[in-house]
Amino acid sequence: MPAAESCASNNVVDNICRLSPDLLAEACQHILTYLQGQTRGVDSAEICDRFQSAGVRLDHEALQDIIRFLLLTFRSGGKSNISGDELVSKLEESSNKWSKASLQVLHKLWSEHGALVHTQQDVQAVLSIGQLVDMQWKLGMAVSSDSCRSLNSPYVTLLLKIVEPSGQICQRSFEMTIPQFQNFHKQFKEIAAVMETV
Amino acid sequence: MADVDAVKSLSGLLNGIAQKVYYNNSDITEELLKTELYPELPQEEFKALHEKMKGLLKSIATADMDHAQLEAFLTAQTKKQGGGGVSAEQAAALSRFWKSQHIRVRESLLAQSRWEPSLRGLSWRVDLQTATSRGDAAHSGPVALMELELGRVGQDSEFVCLEFDEAKINQVLKKMTEIQESIDRIVHRT
Repeated sequence: MPAAESCASNNVVDNICRLSPDLLAEACQHILTYLQGQTRGVDSAEICDRFQSAGVRLDHEALQDIIRFLLLTFRSGGKSNISGDELVSKLEESSNKWSKASLQVLHKLWSEHGALVHTQQDVQAVLSIGQLVDMQWKLGMAVSSDSCRSLNSPYVTLLLKIVEPSGQICQRSFEMTIPQFQNFHKQFKEIAAVMETV
Repeated sequence: MADVDAVKSLSGLLNGIAQKVYYNNSDITEELLKTELYPELPQEEFKALHEKMKGLLKSIATADMDHAQLEAFLTAQTKKQGGGGVSAEQAAALSRFWKSQHIRVRESLLAQSRWEPSLRGLSWRVDLQTATSRGDAAHSGPVALMELELGRVGQDSEFVCLEFDEAKINQVLKKMTEIQESIDRIVHRT
């Protein structure tokens, strides 16, 4: 049995350093753009697609760990309003596995964007729960199945893209029968009516 | 007297099979049904009866038979020679059972073929945000908080919490109107 990793974050650092400088820069840019208040959230599905088309294979967990690590690093950097040099020192202190190339990418991007991340943090409300970023829908008809030859049942599927307080975007989908959907619709109308009177 | 009992036992058997196969009642077992309904019947005979009724019920449910189809099917079954057919009594029991239970059985089959999570529950409330620790007034106004309960058949629920401002609610309402229009167009035709 191989020995367990001495520190979980060393694994993340390894994975980050395996990325090409360009790919790392892209991922960081995506995250920094969100932290600067220019996008609604960090879409890990998008980052994953980019990585895959560049030929990088990372499992879901590993990718989430990388994104979380970068978000945390940039967020705390913004809070303390540190410089690019200070960011690099801090990273080197926490792990000796950093490659020069990766640190250079992080230094450059932070020097360019760090100040704006810092000012944005004062403006952005942190106390929130998930918010809907996008909603897609599909109306389908279940025709037949192995347990029932004639289902003849229409249904509505919704795909919700939700940005969580961490900034990460996740997807949730679910199915409703037509009566369920109509009740769902009715509830939303009620909410709108209440909001108007408040 | 014996006839009434036989009829009751048959109905009980069909209900028991439905409970196990379609209504997810794990308390009902073959042994229980035998003990409760046919204590005197030899084991192999009960097993054969149970399998036959189960098979017939499955055929009827899978084909989602309407009244005419059911009558035709049962008539054909009563005419069968040898041990494979059904008695007039059994046919009558099946007919009665299907008349009263077919909607419920169909619901169960629909649920079984649904593999995406379904919406199990929805709760909401509307808050009025009056102040924040950051002192900004940018987010003042009504905020709707919603909790969606989602779950797949046989699995625990997951809860998704969302907040909406008025603009977002209206955006969602707009999409829902589109969905309703699609439904009206398509479902009307069936």
